[in-house]
Amino acid sequence: MSEPLTKLFMKVASVRSAAAAGRTFLESYPVDEIIQKAKHGKDALYPFSDLDEYGRALLGADISVKQATRFSTLDELVLLPPIFTPKRLERMTELAREPFFSDVDLETAIGGFRSRLPLAMASMGSTDVAHSQSPHLGRGAAEAGIPMGMGENIATVWGYARRTKASMPTFKQRLFAYLDHVKEPLGGVVIQQSVEDAFDELWHKVYTDPDVEPFFRKGLVAFEVKLGQGAKPGLGGETKVSRDAARSLKGKYYFPDDPDTVELDLYERHSAPGTYTEEILRGQLRSLRTNFPRARIWIKTGPFRDLLAMFRVASQERIDAVLVDGKEGGTGMSPVIALKDLGLPTLACLKRINDARLEGLRAPFVLSGRLFDGGHVVKALALGANAVAFGRPFIVAVGVGGAKGIRNYLEATEVEIRMLISSLGKYKVADVSHEDVGSLDRALADALNIPFVYA
Amino acid sequence: MSDPGLAPPQDHLRTSYRHVRDPRMQKVLRVQAALGSAIREYLDGEGFTELLPPIIGPVADPGIRGAKQATINFYGREYKVTSSAILYKQMMAASLGRIYFFSPNVRLEPLETASTGRHLVEFVQVDIEEAGATYEDAMRRAEDLVEHATHGVRARAGGELEAIGRRLNGGGTPYKRISYEEALRILADHGREIPYATEIPWAEEEFLSTRFQAPFFIYDYPRGSRGFYDREHPDRPGILRDFDLLYPEGYGEAISGAEREYEYARVIARLRETGENPSKYEWYLDMLREGIPPSSGFGIGVERLTRYVCGLKTVWEARPYPKVAGVFSP
Repeated sequence: MSEPLTKLFMKVASVRSAAAAGRTFLESYPVDEIIQKAKHGKDALYPFSDLDEYGRALLGADISVKQATRFSTLDELVLLPPIFTPKRLERMTELAREPFFSDVDLETAIGGFRSRLPLAMASMGSTDVAHSQSPHLGRGAAEAGIPMGMGENIATVWGYARRTKASMPTFKQRLFAYLDHVKEPLGGVVIQQSVEDAFDELWHKVYTDPDVEPFFRKGLVAFEVKLGQGAKPGLGGETKVSRDAARSLKGKYYFPDDPDTVELDLYERHSAPGTYTEEILRGQLRSLRTNFPRARIWIKTGPFRDLLAMFRVASQERIDAVLVDGKEGGTGMSPVIALKDLGLPTLACLKRINDARLEGLRAPFVLSGRLFDGGHVVKALALGANAVAFGRPFIVAVGVGGAKGIRNYLEATEVEIRMLISSLGKYKVADVSHEDVGSLDRALADALNIPFVYA
Repeated sequence: MSDPGLAPPQDHLRTSYRHVRDPRMQKVLRVQAALGSAIREYLDGEGFTELLPPIIGPVADPGIRGAKQATINFYGREYKVTSSAILYKQMMAASLGRIYFFSPNVRLEPLETASTGRHLVEFVQVDIEEAGATYEDAMRRAEDLVEHATHGVRARAGGELEAIGRRLNGGGTPYKRISYEEALRILADHGREIPYATEIPWAEEEFLSTRFQAPFFIYDYPRGSRGFYDREHPDRPGILRDFDLLYPEGYGEAISGAEREYEYARVIARLRETGENPSKYEWYLDMLREGIPPSSGFGIGVERLTRYVCGLKTVWEARPYPKVAGVFSP
């Protein structure tokens, strides 16, 4: 290669443009599918294109996969409907008619809350992409009757009740985008507190806030101890903030570039992962119960190798819910090497949940990490989760149509869940079990102790 | 005592300038002053040094049930208003051995406490610390102090007490001691199960208190139910060397006390129970690293003691200009 050409090549190869990053996301994430659902609701559930329509098209299972994956996902499992369906007979006896998929009862207890679906909106943090849309996200989740999480650093970065940036909502506005539209007795809000939020006593602030007090009385608020995140287990939260923000936050976070002496547009801001031993966690959970008797207590964990040991502590301490986020979970910002090399895939986390069930642990489990359709929900239920949480699908859906986009997306997902559960001859979420799922891969089948479908 | 439906005392508090001139209230305030001098007489006689209480500082006690700390802007940085002088008590016991403060505390309590009849946002506690003492020593100290104060007040303000119409059931020391586990068993026997390792809820504490005719101790709380500075039994992991003294007849908690953690490495692990970054407690940790002696101590709320001695329905009748959660008042 001539020298100018080499230079040009180096230049092209070294530019990581927004378009390229966007393309990667489009290629690896089912954005198109979610957009269709957010636009059309349940009408998006059939694979018609604009060119064919009902009665003319000939369709069948897509036998390809979008791309080769490095690790196994829930898409390597299939659900296994039976012919003989004693539970359907039970339901028919109740109804005095043949049951339809609309007869599946989806209302689920999630971590002390009641939810219209076995599905929650995962905690999103302080990054712009989630925070700027948070009024619609909160309203959408509340109107859909599902719980919603609020991630770390929102109050520290955007202010508890006074805006740190004119165009961005405060913590409290984000909280009330949900609470103002909550459909009691359904729903509930789950609030995290980072080490940095704890510096300002965020939970104490919320707990003593007269505006929030009625919701504690009704049991609609949980505090969530965050032990890590799918996309960066073992690392603290990371984001970029403006110079003004960096200056005001200096001392609470780690800034590799000192905002007082180095001039940049944006400053990397790292928060601490938090130090735990079993005893520290136990003590912290007990202190939470003592300090905030009217709050539900949740744990959010990343995909750590010692999940089972933590599940035992959670179970002994009667925690309301443990949310497990797999390594392919969404993130506002995570080092590439962490995304590539840290932690257990979501399916491996589900296997730990399954192990916990076999051990008889009582804690309710919520699974998250690149889950986006009704099939993922039902497979997670079959392997021991009580519910799942979605994150990125809601960000895509809210981008398509605000709170309406979320309602449409959830309508489509709800119908998927109903269809799948009813196909298994079951009409209650709690009846979905191990027998309902099989694996396309033999090693996976052995690991999960479910049938290898070709055997 | 406090009936569960007790309304927050909006009107009462707004007109506190009028209540302080009520003849009965005047007697209560004289009893309160008499209690103060009886307490000082006892502690001074036992070789304690009274110190000026801290009002503000970079950190305050995080081990307060649900209550938020008040903050003030200190030339661009943040100071906390004392929620308890615990960290300073350890500092001063290391210097003078036996010390006490009449310490004003501010705790922004949750709104639900506005109707317990037992919580004030601003109150004064006599905060006592004694170097080299065990928690058994501290319990003996606590019961001696309460005995001395309740007897001393009769000598000093007998007329007022008679006019108020309060006769204390004499108990005599030593007060009965029950462990935290026994307390849970008593509650469970009365159909009031509470989960192990949480602080005893206010309603249950009050119920227990109605079962006794004289003050009594609950000791050995489990780790997690109390502040990080309560020392863990070296040979009984998970159990703290601490105690509460409860008044009888439903008046509830009088005193919280404990032997202290004083070793740096133990404290830093315990501090994480608050979910905070230990760096927030920089001066305190530096002090521990340099070394302080073991100590024990306790705090006794002056308003609650007054309420008990005078037989008042609520604690906001036991001080001038009371402040209760959520009520804006003089």
